[in-house]
Amino acid sequence: MAFSWKTAGITYLKYTQICARAVRNALKEEQRLIAQKRDEQGIKYAKWENGKQGELKPIVPQQHS
Amino acid sequence: MFTLRAIRPVVVNTTQSIGYQNRNYATLKEIQLRLKSINSIAKITKSMKMIASTKMTRAQKAMEIARVFGTTQTGLFTYADTKPTEGGNTLVITVSSDRGLCGGIHSSVSKRSKKFIEENPSSQIIVLGDKAKGQLQRTVRENIKLSFNQIGRSIPTYNEASSIADTILKEKIDFDQAAIIYNYFISVISYEAKIIPAFSVSTFAKSGNFDSYEVEDDVLEHLQEFAFANSIYWGLVEGHAAEMASKRSAMENATKNAGEIIEKLTMTYNRGRQAAITNELVDIITGASAL
Repeated sequence: MAFSWKTAGITYLKYTQICARAVRNALKEEQRLIAQKRDEQGIKYAKWENGKQGELKPIVPQQHS
Repeated sequence: MFTLRAIRPVVVNTTQSIGYQNRNYATLKEIQLRLKSINSIAKITKSMKMIASTKMTRAQKAMEIARVFGTTQTGLFTYADTKPTEGGNTLVITVSSDRGLCGGIHSSVSKRSKKFIEENPSSQIIVLGDKAKGQLQRTVRENIKLSFNQIGRSIPTYNEASSIADTILKEKIDFDQAAIIYNYFISVISYEAKIIPAFSVSTFAKSGNFDSYEVEDDVLEHLQEFAFANSIYWGLVEGHAAEMASKRSAMENATKNAGEIIEKLTMTYNRGRQAAITNELVDIITGASAL
């Protein structure tokens, strides 16, 4: 089994997300509009160090690293 | 309460009359104002309850689906007989959300997390949701490694869960086993903080019945990522359902309490009004008979 995307530094979860997005984009108009709502994410995260909260950064949905 | 209010300086004073009556009118006016505000509060809590009810039914449906993800997930670890590594790194993931006004749902998970940390003082914490963050940073802020917010606005999606899982793994937070602490939805009126176990690749590879599975090394890492996302997804969705249910009952209680206060206030208001009228009548009659 070869995981070509693995060598490109894409994790399994990223890979499935990209696939899911491709499927969503390939849907018919009506279904696509509903499905694409699930694609949006506004989650932000912050790193903590020694009990101090760092900067809030959004989880960039599809950052092809 | 009313005596206190009565002492306060009278603001509305247009007519020239004796002090006693003045005070009486002022309190009546104040009661009226209070009644008005409590009425609008009751309206707001009632509509919030309605919103929470509809959201809850949707969240419950999503939860039924998410449970399948979760039970399959934990099922694998049970069959494989995976055990946490002794003395390994532990990670606590507290699942809550950003919104308040929903009863003790956030303190339930943060209390459980605090207890867990007491047992494993070296464990690292990841907090999902602002409310639990606020509660945990007071006591165990040294252990917090990552915090996420903007969670739980609507039903959490798998996409979000996998992004969270991916970020956690990307940030290179080392752990041998993780405990995902979430609110388990028991029924519409009750929930309980529970733990979903999650394991790292090395811990899983050491599990008792690992030999009965045939795996290639690469796949194992993917399985671990997938399992991690699954568990987080389950925690998020289940927590969301519990939160909505708790919000519904909290709002229901608030509406009920507001109704009680309204009833009491209306009673005192009417009584005061009648007393004032009687007083005036007495004044007029005595005045008339004195003529």
